[in-house]
Amino acid sequence: MGLSREQLEAVVAKHIPINEEIDVLETGCTLIAYLLDNCRITVPEENRFFVSVNCAGVLGRLWWGRSRFVRSTFATEEHQRGDETLAYTGCLDISHTTPKWENVFSLGFCGLKQRVAAYALKADNTPKQQRFYTQVLKVYDAIDRFLLRAVQAAREQGKEEMAEGILVMTRRAPETLFEVMQTSIAYYVFQHMFEVTYLRSMGRIDTLWYDFRKKESKANAMQLMADYFAEADRLEAPANMPFTLSCYDVCRNISVVDLTDEILDVYSASNLTNTKFHLLCGVNTPESIISKAFACVQKGKNSIVFMGNETIIKSLEKMGAAPADAANYHVEGCYEAASDGELPCTTGGRVSIPKALELALNGGRDMLTGDPVGLATDSKFNSFEALYAEFRRQLSHLCKKSMEVTDLFESRYKQLHCAPILSSTYDYNIENGTDLYCDYGAKYNNSSINALGLATATDSLIAIKKLVFEEKRLTLAQLVDILKADWKDQEALRIYAKNKLPKYGIGDREADSLAKTITEDLTAFIAGKPNVKGGQWRLGLFSIDWRWSFGEKCAASADGRHLGETLSQNAGATFGADREGATAHLTSVCAIDTTNTPNGTNADIDLHASAVRGSAGNRVLCAMLKTYFDLGGFSVHFNVLDTDILKRAKERPQDYPTLQVRLCGWNVLFSSLSDKEKDEFIARSVK
Amino acid sequence: MTGTIFGIKRMEMHDGDGIRTTVFFKGCPLKCIWCHNPEGISFQKQVALFQNKCMGCGSCGGNTDEKTAASCPAGAQVLYGTDYDAPTLAQILCRDKPYFDNSGGGVTFSGGECLMQADFAVALAKELKKMGVGVYIDTCGYVKRAALEQIIPYTQKFLYDMKAVNSAVHKACAGQDNGVILDNLKFLIDQGCDVEIRYPLVVGWNHREADPIGAFLRRLNFTGKIKVLQYHNFAGSKYSALGMENTLPDTTTTLDDIDKAVAILKGYGLNAINGAKED
Repeated sequence: MGLSREQLEAVVAKHIPINEEIDVLETGCTLIAYLLDNCRITVPEENRFFVSVNCAGVLGRLWWGRSRFVRSTFATEEHQRGDETLAYTGCLDISHTTPKWENVFSLGFCGLKQRVAAYALKADNTPKQQRFYTQVLKVYDAIDRFLLRAVQAAREQGKEEMAEGILVMTRRAPETLFEVMQTSIAYYVFQHMFEVTYLRSMGRIDTLWYDFRKKESKANAMQLMADYFAEADRLEAPANMPFTLSCYDVCRNISVVDLTDEILDVYSASNLTNTKFHLLCGVNTPESIISKAFACVQKGKNSIVFMGNETIIKSLEKMGAAPADAANYHVEGCYEAASDGELPCTTGGRVSIPKALELALNGGRDMLTGDPVGLATDSKFNSFEALYAEFRRQLSHLCKKSMEVTDLFESRYKQLHCAPILSSTYDYNIENGTDLYCDYGAKYNNSSINALGLATATDSLIAIKKLVFEEKRLTLAQLVDILKADWKDQEALRIYAKNKLPKYGIGDREADSLAKTITEDLTAFIAGKPNVKGGQWRLGLFSIDWRWSFGEKCAASADGRHLGETLSQNAGATFGADREGATAHLTSVCAIDTTNTPNGTNADIDLHASAVRGSAGNRVLCAMLKTYFDLGGFSVHFNVLDTDILKRAKERPQDYPTLQVRLCGWNVLFSSLSDKEKDEFIARSVK
Repeated sequence: MTGTIFGIKRMEMHDGDGIRTTVFFKGCPLKCIWCHNPEGISFQKQVALFQNKCMGCGSCGGNTDEKTAASCPAGAQVLYGTDYDAPTLAQILCRDKPYFDNSGGGVTFSGGECLMQADFAVALAKELKKMGVGVYIDTCGYVKRAALEQIIPYTQKFLYDMKAVNSAVHKACAGQDNGVILDNLKFLIDQGCDVEIRYPLVVGWNHREADPIGAFLRRLNFTGKIKVLQYHNFAGSKYSALGMENTLPDTTTTLDDIDKAVAILKGYGLNAINGAKED
């Protein structure tokens, strides 16, 4: 039977209060075991591989409840202002991880447990190590009991194949493709749903599954994959269920491309709505695979991020990762790369680049609230260079503050979070007897800052340079007053700034150079700086859907943007500014040295369906991608949009129930968007 | 020497192979009733006024000239025609060279009629060749033979318009007889040039020309591609913005119409494709 979700939540909630002596590992493991023993197990009729549980995310109440409490203990008024104005933020990130899938599949749950047990018996363990092994074993014992309950539940529903496979999990590692898929989903359930350390990659599945796939007939394998992806799709993973396709083994010697090809065939024929793929593109990635991936994109199956292997690996090596760890990187989120063994905490800190300019122009105060969020300044500049220097000073301040707040969270891991299941998959943690979080046990204990709104800030700086310092259309003080009044009665000037001035995203050298300089400054402020965990800070330039909330807190900007309008998306151009087409847009993005941004520099390319139709369109897309990566591109994804279809789907959503668009790092059903968001996509589709 | 250009379009995928940048030369000897680039017909610079974009800001003072077009914030006034020297323009056209190289693309000279500025076209093509960029010539064929002879050494491929073989039909559609056009096509084929024929199919005007075109090309032993293009009448706003009479036929060419023309051309053993859906 098990307990209701409300009963389980009530038990967890009792443990939220914390004190200095608390050992989160002990509490966490006890609660995970409790949930495993007491949750309700159901067997949905449509499931082939694994059971469902009623406690997904329940333990998150503990992690996030404690996080809120901890914040209340350290947050100063200054931090609060940063948060409220969205000038900078810092938070606990337990949402971007990947297990060591190779160990999950080669050892199975049974082997993972035996390995911990063997280490627990070692005579020279320190008390801290012994505590780790004991707690992890407690969880694995509960996993065993859970699996036996799941066997019984499956049998009661007449699911013999499922029951038999789950029983096997208690005894040995997976040996067939079915068993490997079953283990994959089961592991996701244990880590993501019970432990509530969000799992952001199901691994390089073509490589991981290859030997198992070889044992199956093609028909059987294709059916298994179709069933597997459908079941994984139903797990309601946040921001899509992520799979990586690498075409090769980690050393890029052994090709697994025939399986990559089959997986893309399955995806192409599917109706998956919550699945995404990261396709790792290197010099030896077959053109046939890139072409097939684009064929999917062309027909609206566009949940594919193309990742530039060479640049990404270089960015991780620059962070000090061993070459082998960098080569075996994971994509732990929308675009974020992490070395094997790295805990990157990819969304810990966020900094608004346009806000730094706003502060420079307004005496260090937020234009909307008047709050002193930045550094005091008289905001008087007799040259563009002087303005830029002040912008740089404010940006540096926001970066420091964001790192400071995030450091405060991360310094409290001992009370905030543990990840016994995730940690137990890594050799490094097992050998050292340390948890990834509360013991800072990762091989690379890094933290990340994302700088939002690069194009908005670049275009605004360029606009000020032209309007005030070169064309001398008005004084800086006049422009600031206009921005404070949200361009009231200044529509002609606003449209001029929007339409007539250079923009990032059209391959304009001046604008691109400025974007490059801003990124170099961000790199100097963030990249490689020591964090509180003994690791380093990483830089990312993605803004995903945060661009809306951060935009709402930004005053009007000199690029012609109104108060509250969205900031630019990721590392790309402001919407509508990419008027020179995709090649120009990508050229601008490539002006940035993305080997300094392991946390992600993504370009979002919108193309009208008519521009890339057919095999000629496919060849063009392949060539465009190759060039982008040749020029140092980090990652890119594509929306192939048809204006007429989007308009009809807005009017009659019932006729387009499966129409998807790529929101940012993930896909969404078009019908699920607000009218404002739908209108944005329709506008973006007009080329 | 300078040339007058009325547009540059990057990431163009319908004017030849691969990723291309198309440069539009001002001035055309024909007056095709279906012309979708009316701003390219006159050899003179023109300023168009798109009334629907005008926000009434008054920055133009009610004038319409090159200066007001440059400063019009809303883009309601658009200047068609900018003078470039060949080296400067070549630099601008080469911005996507890495994309050209990976896609088999390059630069397409279009218009207007690019070979009406033949000396400049040759100078520009020479500059591009120096930079390792291939050139396609999109031509109506109503040009001097000498212009073709000059440009051939710098041309990878000719995209050659064929609107009609029947002279009367051609004159009705394009305002001129087609004798020069047919002779020039034969010349290019005889010279061994790579030529792709483009047959813009406008129902009610030249839809019966598939047979004569097929017969004519077979007589020339033409072995290249012939692409049948779909007509659309999206350019109406440009006619009114330029103060020109809108001559666009109020007709629709369907995919089915194109398929029928393609079938006729294939009947002559030609490599015909539907340009609205094929590569």
